[in-house]
Amino acid sequence: MKAEQVLNALKTALGENFRNPELRPRSVGVARKWTVEEIWAEVPREAIPQAVGTLKSLGPLHISIISGHDAREHIELLYHLAVGFGTEGGEVMVTLRTRVPKSDPRVPSICGILPGAETTEREKIEFLGVDFPGIPCRDHVFLPDDLPVHPWRRDEPELEKFLHRMVEWEKGHEGKESAGS
Amino acid sequence: MKEKRAQDPEDPVLPAVEEREVLLTGPEVGPGEVFSVPIGPIHPALKEPIRLTFQVQGERIVGVQIRTGFAHRGIEFMGMRQGRNLIQILYLSERICGICSISHPIAFTQAVERAAGIEVPPRAQYIRVIISELERIHSHLLWAGVAAHELGFDTLLHLTWRVREKVLDILEELSGNRINYAIPIFGGVRRDITPDQYPKVREALRYYRGLFDELLDAFLRDPTVEARTRGVGILEPKEAEELCAVGPTARASGLRKDVRQDRPYLAYSDFEVKAITPEDYGLTPVGDVYDKIVVRLLEVGQSIEIIEKALEGMPEGEITSFPKIPALLAHLKKAEGEGLGWHEAPRGEVIHYVRLVSGEESPLVWKVKAPTYSNLLSWYPMFEGQEVADIPIIAACIDPCICCMDRVYLVRNGKEETWTKEGLLRLSWEKTRRMRR
Repeated sequence: MKAEQVLNALKTALGENFRNPELRPRSVGVARKWTVEEIWAEVPREAIPQAVGTLKSLGPLHISIISGHDAREHIELLYHLAVGFGTEGGEVMVTLRTRVPKSDPRVPSICGILPGAETTEREKIEFLGVDFPGIPCRDHVFLPDDLPVHPWRRDEPELEKFLHRMVEWEKGHEGKESAGS
Repeated sequence: MKEKRAQDPEDPVLPAVEEREVLLTGPEVGPGEVFSVPIGPIHPALKEPIRLTFQVQGERIVGVQIRTGFAHRGIEFMGMRQGRNLIQILYLSERICGICSISHPIAFTQAVERAAGIEVPPRAQYIRVIISELERIHSHLLWAGVAAHELGFDTLLHLTWRVREKVLDILEELSGNRINYAIPIFGGVRRDITPDQYPKVREALRYYRGLFDELLDAFLRDPTVEARTRGVGILEPKEAEELCAVGPTARASGLRKDVRQDRPYLAYSDFEVKAITPEDYGLTPVGDVYDKIVVRLLEVGQSIEIIEKALEGMPEGEITSFPKIPALLAHLKKAEGEGLGWHEAPRGEVIHYVRLVSGEESPLVWKVKAPTYSNLLSWYPMFEGQEVADIPIIAACIDPCICCMDRVYLVRNGKEETWTKEGLLRLSWEKTRRMRR
């Protein structure tokens, strides 16, 4: 599969909703040179399922991860998807960037289209406090179920206190250890 | 026990007598009824903390809940928010996994190199490939041993792990360490593989080539192994694709999914890597544990070929584009951008996303994805409908990781000695020096 082909399919399907598309080539190999192209683009959050559905219709689809961070005024999520595995150099990496307002941190779940996205969506619920309506399970993946904070948020009022408590606990703990030894 | 409880029913610490009876003897389960068996997070049968709650009907598993996170260390948070610079984070990334300890640095360095626009010299790319493939050999042999142990076939475990020592010796020879090789650095590698080391690597490859058929024979043509693994823990190709399984777990179900083939990186396009499935061994892929053994063993052979080719075609030249660390740090501090780095680790796809902001030493965003993260969901269909006795091998078949210890206790000539971490480290240095002489 060619990156150009994936890019055109996304442009046709999403129209206005497919913004600032970019092809980022990387040349690999020493004796046998090869160019691997990645697609990076912005998609509004409500168009994410449509974009993922379009990619799925092009070939076997894989989601690597959804990465995200707190960009102060909003939360940014990046869907790192790969379409078309199975042939040499035939897989195209597609990164879809979306903005989630903090006043309404919700993005439609893609688990209905790609069930393999469940773990990574659940991880975003606990770390960034973004909800994914339609996700089959909201259990935490890594953090304790009763943890009161979303650790990757920069505006988390409880985080500083929480970390402070942790550091204090560690200090106390270290003291005890050195006293014992 | 029952009588003692009846004598002491007023203890306020303990639950009510009726509840305690249920806790101690278990609920009464009639024929055909479903009940829960919680295993973990701390359990003698598990080598790492995870909680598996099985719903069983007689001997058959009808459902499972998986809870992870008992060993969550917040490594990404430590990298992003605690003022570490990228070189410090590189060593942190190496410690994400003890077994595939070059996979994360390889993905991380690529992500940073993409973000900061750093080129990697050809020779360094080849060295990274060689170390990665040596690691694949050691990791697959380690897994094969664990699988044999989970099947109750400990002779095969000891045989496989004895054979594995050779590749660990070579890794120690090349990097100074059995694990945590500290080879990649942004823009290249930290250590060269010098021509006088080639014969030793080639000798190890000959050793594994000679043993390869014997290994295949011991695992794949053994009636006990076949009886315990055929038709057990099946992952259908459609499920593997939908659940985004990676690595040997996906390939055993017949998916030709291998990042080295699909999205070549570093020098991998030179070696024309093809994803291995059971079809390459003349079998129709079923996706059971047997197929996972087939794929991992054949990949040992594939790695031997890649390393041989790499040693033959090793380009001359520099091993890093930034020989001076302060210059590298200054360049990284000025860099602004984002990048993705990926690698086919022994267990499957590792991917790192990094975003750098000019003037900051730490990255703004660092996201790590390990292979077991992708394979977690595959456990559900694999467990369902299986027998309780097959839980250990199904749990092990996606190859989750195991941690290490910091001291050992030794009895020599009837005298007890305690070895500390420092003592073991000294021994290890002495051994590396002996090997290099």
